Amino acid sequence: MTDKITINVNGSEISTEPDQLIIEACEDSGIHIPRFCWHKRMDPVGMCRMCLVEIDTPRGKALVPSCTTKVSEDLIVDTESEVVKKAQEGVLEFLLINHPLDCPVCDKAGECPLQDQTMAYGPGESRFVEDKRHFEKPIPISEIILLDRERCILCARCTRFSDEISGDPLIEFIQRGNKTQVNTFPDEPFRSYFSGNTVQICPVGALTSTSYRFKARPWDLKKVSSTCNCCSVGCSVELNVSQNKMLRILGEDNDFTNQGWLSDKGRYNFEYLHSDKRITLPLLIDSSTQEVSINESMDLISNEIFSHKKSSVSFIVGPNSTNEEYFALNNFVNDLKEKNDNSENINIYFSDDYLYKGFFENQEKLGEIKDLDLADTIILWSQDIKDNLPTLYLRIKQAVKNGKKLLIFGHTNTAIKELTEHYFGEEIINKNFEFNVEISEIPDLEEFILDKNVVAILGKSSPIQDVEPITELFQYLNEKSNLKVLNAFSKGNTFGALQNIDCVKGLNEFVNEFDESKRNLVFTIGANPVNNSVLSKKIKDRLIMSDFVVALDMFLNETTELANIILPTTSYGEKEGTVTNLEMRILKQNKILPVPGSALSDWEYWSMLLNKIDNEKLFESEIELNSLMCDEYIDKEILPSFENLNKPQNLDGILNFKPINIEIENINLINLEMLFVHRLYGDSSSQINSPSISMLGSERFIEMNYATYFGSYMLNNDVVTLTQDDVSIQVNVYINDSLPDNLIIIPINRRGFQNLDPQKKVELEVANSREQLSVS
Amino acid sequence: MSWEKELIEKANEIIDLYPEKRSALAPLLYLAQERDGYISDESIVEISNLVGITEVQVKSVASFYSMYKEEQTGKYLLSVCKSISCEINDSRSVIDSVKEFTGLENYETDVDKVFTFEEVECIGACGGAPAVQINYETVEGLTPQKSIELCEWLKEEKPEVVVAEELQNMFGGVKSFDWAINDNTGSSYSVPGFQNIGTAKEKRI
Ligand code: SF4
Ligand code: FES
Ligand code: FES
Repeated sequence: MTDKITINVNGSEISTEPDQLIIEACEDSGIHIPRFCWHKRMDPVGMCRMCLVEIDTPRGKALVPSCTTKVSEDLIVDTESEVVKKAQEGVLEFLLINHPLDCPVCDKAGECPLQDQTMAYGPGESRFVEDKRHFEKPIPISEIILLDRERCILCARCTRFSDEISGDPLIEFIQRGNKTQVNTFPDEPFRSYFSGNTVQICPVGALTSTSYRFKARPWDLKKVSSTCNCCSVGCSVELNVSQNKMLRILGEDNDFTNQGWLSDKGRYNFEYLHSDKRITLPLLIDSSTQEVSINESMDLISNEIFSHKKSSVSFIVGPNSTNEEYFALNNFVNDLKEKNDNSENINIYFSDDYLYKGFFENQEKLGEIKDLDLADTIILWSQDIKDNLPTLYLRIKQAVKNGKKLLIFGHTNTAIKELTEHYFGEEIINKNFEFNVEISEIPDLEEFILDKNVVAILGKSSPIQDVEPITELFQYLNEKSNLKVLNAFSKGNTFGALQNIDCVKGLNEFVNEFDESKRNLVFTIGANPVNNSVLSKKIKDRLIMSDFVVALDMFLNETTELANIILPTTSYGEKEGTVTNLEMRILKQNKILPVPGSALSDWEYWSMLLNKIDNEKLFESEIELNSLMCDEYIDKEILPSFENLNKPQNLDGILNFKPINIEIENINLINLEMLFVHRLYGDSSSQINSPSISMLGSERFIEMNYATYFGSYMLNNDVVTLTQDDVSIQVNVYINDSLPDNLIIIPINRRGFQNLDPQKKVELEVANSREQLSVS
Repeated sequence: MSWEKELIEKANEIIDLYPEKRSALAPLLYLAQERDGYISDESIVEISNLVGITEVQVKSVASFYSMYKEEQTGKYLLSVCKSISCEINDSRSVIDSVKEFTGLENYETDVDKVFTFEEVECIGACGGAPAVQINYETVEGLTPQKSIELCEWLKEEKPEVVVAEELQNMFGGVKSFDWAINDNTGSSYSVPGFQNIGTAKEKRI
């Protein structure tokens, strides 16, 4: 902690940190200085001059930009003097010279900093009678972002974001003077996983999203804070709704997690909520599909569960339920075990190929995201972080920018290799994700970790791999350094499931424990393992063999179409609850939308079924579940109850723990031919039912190094046909020379790859013609 | 069309002069301009790969500086200075006669792609005003008559490379001062980092 210093602003003393900018220091003391280009999460540039203030200098008073000037002891600042006012008016008059003032048709109007500040600080009238600068009205700069260059005030927020924060500078200022404009390079669209953030931070309506354009006026929006479900970072968001439709999701600045940013998936993955393909009534599927009432469906299901006590009942859960819902499920399952006197055959499996035991034994070792800012060294060995935990990637990038050393172990995070101090590739780690050398002998590793603060982000890189090497690395780091670990399970509310379900098993356990000779009942809960698991084929076979399958879901998909009965469920925005992120921070999700049709939330189904076991028992509400769930948290001081989480001081979430029990067998002997990865965009039901982003996950491609491409497969074309047994897919080939020889990357959440066997070789042949590469 | 092997080699030599690859951007753009008479999109892609920044970042720099051309220029780029020193020494008439001879307005290129004409701001030869540049090779102390002769000569002789010194001897008048370097040809010679590009004289050999 550094000593505070005192400055004088508009006649009053304020105390501030010594290295703060004037604009920040004033902001913290409640004095607002208007600005366009300055953003607290980005480096200042001093582009717009809106933030001019007067300070006392040895040569008298001077106007300086408060966003680039740091405070100093006894500095005297005036933010309201006549000179400042005149400067503000002047700056605004200049900014408006070329601004089209098309506010009546502009999406930003009503929440536009340019509009608001012109009202508050502007001259009131214009002296400009000449022609304004003209550009073609909005041009698409990517599939989801439009740019209206006439409205742009050249604040460089968007370009700085893409360079500094997301690290994909595909937009830049081009030209000069009056012609200066933001633009992309021809044929290089602004394809960034984070492009939507530029729309949110643009201080005018120059950047707009296709999904929100002309949909609503800001003053008509109903808003509520919530927590995103797209990955386990648990980004804070604001849901914007008008006429009972979700229209927009904005990032909220939570210092512990997303710091205001969102991935485009988190931002744009919501249109499915209002898709007409959504299931809103229970569906009974036998020879035909018919709608049934909730009561009928409950009777049917309870009959199936209770009439054959010795049946095996499997619950395959997905990552999108709330903690309360997992808690309710867990309670139901426990009661069911008792009622059927059959605890062995009743199990809960979590639908994520990357789940394994993880590192939970020692709570002391569990890190927080903000530890990244305090670490000396960050170690990363997990699935591709940019695709699977996108906002965590932003935090890592930020930490690296601030001088933290990043060490990456192969072979998944190759896309961010340039951020690293060391990338440990094929010489250190073979293609089955085992160490080629003793960890202690890895060159340069020790130097970066010995007695240092280390944050290790650890997880499985491949769905099929021995996890022993990860454990070895953990132990080594633990011995040598001051270690904090972040378990890199990436899916939605995985950690909520782990916290609230007594025993979680994996999909491999489901496949192996499935006993054909028994009577089998399977529940799938917001999970689609038939589409995006390495075990898809096997799971599909087992579901087909099952006697009765109940799917709780919103859509008909590869898994739910195999069910006997589909129960319509709800999504985030339609229910109240909590979720737990990867640092065990519990965050609140709030309800703002009505539930469509007769859909119910998972917990309501569990409650009804529980009631069938014991008619004394019933969960009345989410809040009741929440308080029951809270009882089991370890730290009693501050429980993640709705009441606590709704308090202003806890809006950033509450860290709390529960013992975690994951029962997943290690996979030993393997020989990987293909490395299955998850890309940010894929073919999940929610994404393909969100038109704005549905096509972003449609390209099918594979990656391999040049030696494999040219040497092993003798290819010379970037479009090939990939075949294995009865699977045949046309794909684009990308060369990635950070990969080991003969390992092919396959994006398993893209159409058509789920039936491949990762341990068998594939045939690759140059495709006959490009036309065949159709993605539908 | 992607860059020739020799050009890439030269580019890499330039890149090696700098601790950061991207610092070589400006001289590489100069190479690109020399190759095609303007900064083509292909060259931008090439440079972006060579220095490891995105295409639009290269474009940003290329389009900021007016001496990097965004469109194809003629074989000879005639840049006639119109700034103050030249203006008081009657650059207007030089401009008018060049315009008349070539039939071109500002920033125009003729159909045969021989000449591109532009009026420019100070080219740093105020002492020898009025001054012009042919493909950025400076000639000082011009008269309207000499400027026409210069254009005629270019049109007839079609030299592959023009050299400041020689143009000066043939068409120039009063020179500002001696540059005090051995080979003062090439407008950019004195700039470190551009030296590998070679002077106009060297290029002709
Ligand atoms: S598009 Fe918006 S964010 Fe980008 S420079 Fe223009 S005004 Fe700023
Ligand atoms: S906010 Fe300070 S110059 Fe733009
Ligand atoms: S004014 Fe013409 S060279 Fe300087």
